[in-house]
Amino acid sequence: MKFVVRRLLIAVGQVLLVTLLAYLLFYVISAATGASPAQRVAGHAATPAQIARVAHLLGTDKPFYVQYVNFLGHIIHGNFGYSFLQRRPVTQIILPAAYVSMSLIAVSVVLWILMAVPIGLIAALHPRTFTDRFLTICAQVAIATPVFWLAPILSYLLAFEPNQGRFLGISLGTSVNVFPIEGWVSLTSNPWQWLHHLLLPGLALALGFTGFYARFVRALVLEQLDEDYVRTARSKGAGRPRILRAHIGRVVAPSIITLLGLDVGAAIGAVLFVELIFGLPGLGYVAVNSIQNLDYPVTVGVVTFTGLLTVGAMTLADLAVAALDPRIRRPTT
Amino acid sequence: MSISTGQNAALGDDVTVDPALGVSFRARFMRRLLADKATIVAAAFLIVLLLLATIGAPIAAALTGHGPNQQFFNGLNLNGIPLSPLSHEIGNNGQPDPHGAFFILGTDRLGRDMLVRLLYGARATLAVGIGATAVALFIGLMLGMIAGYFGGKLDAVISRGIETAMAFPSMLFAIGLAAVLGAGLINSIIVIALFSWYYPARIVRNAVLALRGEQFVEAARSIGLGHFTIMRRHLLPQLTAPLIVYATGVVALNILFEAGLSYLGLGVRPPTPDWGQMIADGVTSDLYRQQIWVALIPGLALVFTTLAFNQLGDGLRDAFAVRGSIR
Repeated sequence: MKFVVRRLLIAVGQVLLVTLLAYLLFYVISAATGASPAQRVAGHAATPAQIARVAHLLGTDKPFYVQYVNFLGHIIHGNFGYSFLQRRPVTQIILPAAYVSMSLIAVSVVLWILMAVPIGLIAALHPRTFTDRFLTICAQVAIATPVFWLAPILSYLLAFEPNQGRFLGISLGTSVNVFPIEGWVSLTSNPWQWLHHLLLPGLALALGFTGFYARFVRALVLEQLDEDYVRTARSKGAGRPRILRAHIGRVVAPSIITLLGLDVGAAIGAVLFVELIFGLPGLGYVAVNSIQNLDYPVTVGVVTFTGLLTVGAMTLADLAVAALDPRIRRPTT
Repeated sequence: MSISTGQNAALGDDVTVDPALGVSFRARFMRRLLADKATIVAAAFLIVLLLLATIGAPIAAALTGHGPNQQFFNGLNLNGIPLSPLSHEIGNNGQPDPHGAFFILGTDRLGRDMLVRLLYGARATLAVGIGATAVALFIGLMLGMIAGYFGGKLDAVISRGIETAMAFPSMLFAIGLAAVLGAGLINSIIVIALFSWYYPARIVRNAVLALRGEQFVEAARSIGLGHFTIMRRHLLPQLTAPLIVYATGVVALNILFEAGLSYLGLGVRPPTPDWGQMIADGVTSDLYRQQIWVALIPGLALVFTTLAFNQLGDGLRDAFAVRGSIR
């Protein structure tokens, strides 16, 4: 219980830092672009008096620390501000986008775990063989491939209709437009179409992570195979599946969960490119649009919101690990 | 985190007998490195790439007779689609003109020579990737050393800072910041360094924390050396091996980061060529659906370069016998 409280306190601290930085960024933007938020709202033709009135209404005429406290207060009440451009609350823009992005990340996480764990296991169980080398090279290439390049190439190969069945002028025999080229279908309206539209973007997002996780799983399992407890389990007659599942799996799982907590945050950065290419109206799409249109409240809202998601994912992962591993719960250093 | 230098390993706790034991550290390092063929290939690739970017780019421009930004009106076919690799400029009759300019890697969206642009683009990619890593390394080294050496409250503050920085949606923040600072070489280096200092900081902090209790530090203290001298003269040499290894890995990450920023138009300013921006050129207009090469070529260059840096990092790690990875 003490551990949970401690961990949650750290999370609160992180959230405060994230919001502070997001807020500073907001002010740096308005200072650097030379247009104050009040100016943006009031428009180009506004007189100084009108701008001052808008500034007073927005609260931007108060000192920065007062504004920051107000900003925090609003966030606690679920109020992320008001878009200059779309003239509606930022939450109305962010929440549907978050639904899309979270769906994409969820599909992607499932894909990369389903691919990386078996690949890593196979490599670890046959170390330094041809299979191991081949899988390691594949993982290396996957890690080195930028998602904003992989996504269009995948869409070209598996979704693009005018080129169906051909790659670089070579005929592949059959049509390969297996996946829809872009777009978004809500889970509640049609679960199958939802998945079908997310599989290819999810795969594009997942491949790089698959490489990382396959290497990670391989290294973790390989390290454990030499341990005494594995030898003991083997000598008492436990078969390989049982050793992997009940003995090694239990030791290795916390490390993977911790990493997952971190990488859900990292994935939010990569999601942006995938969303742009596959036309998914997610958080990345909203972020890039708002940055290009200098719609600061939306930018700050997206950054804060993703920051909250990331901190949340990390905290959850740490709590899950503590539930799995009693050693963590004991206060050490 | 174990840092093994020649002396440590010779005195040390390692029971397994290394066939190269007794030989100097440098000789062992070279022997391990040279036995690793993949790493040698990666290193050779990177040296060639560096030469191509520095000397090769102007040579290619001189040989082909055109610079990276020269647009060929006839460098697109009649439908306005860029030319495939190994093709000649289009003549007045709409057919390839054997006397016209020859494009080894084809042309891009504006009819510019892909090969020359690719070579010049390597400059921006490498300069930002390596430059940002150098800055990040410097920041990380300072903070990591302070945290690991002094411990206590200072360590707690810096460590929480590192954890929070890792928790950040760094790509989104970087994009926001890059949009504020504006595009440009120096700005991309600043932005990327701000979001990659925490890898080396964590490594250095953990390594110094482990070394702090060692006798040589105590000895240095007892003869009256100051903290700064101990850090610089006694601890820093112990950190060279892990730092070189991690820096190589971070360069790979930062090259992808830079490409990502310039893909979004936040890297170096056009028309200066850059790999990320070349990919964006081919992708954002959906041009790659008609001419896949415009996206394929810069992407492959990026993949191979990242792969080479990663492989070099792994090889150096094995040769230095440093444990762990940057993640």
